[in-house]
Amino acid sequence: MTRRLPSPRVLFTILVMVCLYAPIVLVLVYSVNKDVALLHWKGFTWHWYSQALHDSTVRDDFVTSLQVALLSTVISLVIAITAGLWGRRASKRARRYFDALTYSRIVLPEVVFALGLFVLFKKLSIPFGVGAIVLGHVVFNSAYATIIIQARLATMSESLEEAAADLGANRWRVFRRITLPLLMPAVIVAALLTTTFSFDDVIVSQFLGGTTAETLPVLVLGKIRLHVTPEVNAIGAGLMVITLLTFTTAGLITVLRPTGAGSTLGFGRKAAE
Amino acid sequence: MTGRVRGVGRQALALPSVGWTALFFVAPLGLLLLYSFGTTNTLTYEVQFGWTTSNYTGVFHGLYIDAIRRSLLLSAGATAACLVIGFPVAYTIARAKGRWQIVLLLMVMVPFWTSFVVRTYGVFNLIGDSGPLAQLLKSLGLVRGGGIHLLFTPVGVGIGIVYSYLPLMILPLYVALERIDPALLDAASDLGAPPRRVLRRVILPLARPGIVAGCVLVGIPATGEYVIPQILGGGKTLMVGNVVANQFLDIGDYPFGAALAIVLTLIVMIVLVVLRSRTDRTEEPVPA
Repeated sequence: MTRRLPSPRVLFTILVMVCLYAPIVLVLVYSVNKDVALLHWKGFTWHWYSQALHDSTVRDDFVTSLQVALLSTVISLVIAITAGLWGRRASKRARRYFDALTYSRIVLPEVVFALGLFVLFKKLSIPFGVGAIVLGHVVFNSAYATIIIQARLATMSESLEEAAADLGANRWRVFRRITLPLLMPAVIVAALLTTTFSFDDVIVSQFLGGTTAETLPVLVLGKIRLHVTPEVNAIGAGLMVITLLTFTTAGLITVLRPTGAGSTLGFGRKAAE
Repeated sequence: MTGRVRGVGRQALALPSVGWTALFFVAPLGLLLLYSFGTTNTLTYEVQFGWTTSNYTGVFHGLYIDAIRRSLLLSAGATAACLVIGFPVAYTIARAKGRWQIVLLLMVMVPFWTSFVVRTYGVFNLIGDSGPLAQLLKSLGLVRGGGIHLLFTPVGVGIGIVYSYLPLMILPLYVALERIDPALLDAASDLGAPPRRVLRRVILPLARPGIVAGCVLVGIPATGEYVIPQILGGGKTLMVGNVVANQFLDIGDYPFGAALAIVLTLIVMIVLVVLRSRTDRTEEPVPA
């Protein structure tokens, strides 16, 4: 079949691949370009990277991003694991309503619920900052984590857990010694994905950060809008490497240890199904 | 284990998820809905709850209906472009030999796994008037004079959306196309169908679930897009998401902003329901 079809299709595929990488390569090239105006190639330099590393705003924002990502990941995992365990015993109807709530947290435009939270926090005088961002990130992160954990639980047999319970292990012990270890690949994938989503988020972080907390993507967005110093390329390149590494790790885990999460993995943050 | 978990304790496991969703998802949406029927006191800037529909009639005026129209057009156009660009690519990947399939798929996904803002900034660099694309087109003699005028136009925003979401179209298309038995295609052409007819009568009907899934994955987030128009639209080519945010963050008219947000939510739901109904139809046998 391949031989019979014309090769323009293959050429087109190559062209599309080139287009997919061109903007990324451009950021990487600009990040080591000496030219301040970024119009021409004027030689190689690490200057922008060292400038970014010595920029205290960049460092503060990196720490903020890390805090937000870790906190929202931990909370999302707790929510997802309890939700998964509940789902195994729930009635079909309850489960259907529950899943609808989960998916709607992903499908609804982030701008809308982020602004809803903005108004709600203002009304209740909840201060904007790291805590507020975490509250918002957990809304979508817990949904993704729940879907991944549910997928794993659906493929798990309960015979080991039943055996442990018959041998006298209490419920907590069964969970800690049997269920959780079996669930671990899915937990790791969910953790990596939610960390990345949180680290990559702009909208919730921007609306709920207030004046005290700024994450790295929000900093980058601000710098882009305020017409750019070449430093932003270096920060951006660093950010890309971080998200790429966590995502790739998650990808490798799903490939090496099937968790039923593969389909969720590909469909980034704003996926609908 | 089943029998020992008593009713109340078992239901309590749903509490973290349901509680969080109620407090930080349903409540804010409810508040927006409530606000959307209220008014702003022009002296104190305080929101007064009420039952006016004037915010909603305001949505369908000039600037705002323009933003809605632009969002729908951009979303539909970008989804169509993703489909047209993504289909041949997905087909090529699906027909590649074993190991190559994984390599090509990874090559499609890796850009998607890098930071969203930074990727969009890369597009910003690429299509700028003095960027590499302009220089390339100029040296080929395709463009003369000032520049290519893509940045800060709807076309520029569209390019950004297509670039960002193309992997989400290619992935489900690949899944659907990979399942097609090559023997079917051989059978069709052996029976005398020209390639165009094989595509239209065999490949496209079988790929339909993938096409619908791809359109959902691209069309839904594109409709509510906020970041891409911020970077590539430059404050001129605004989509509904940006207009809504402006109402809250800059102008401070919460009731009107809330009405816009509710309208945006409804639009997304309608788009989803329409696309979903297409999936259901694929369950029916394909007419011969």
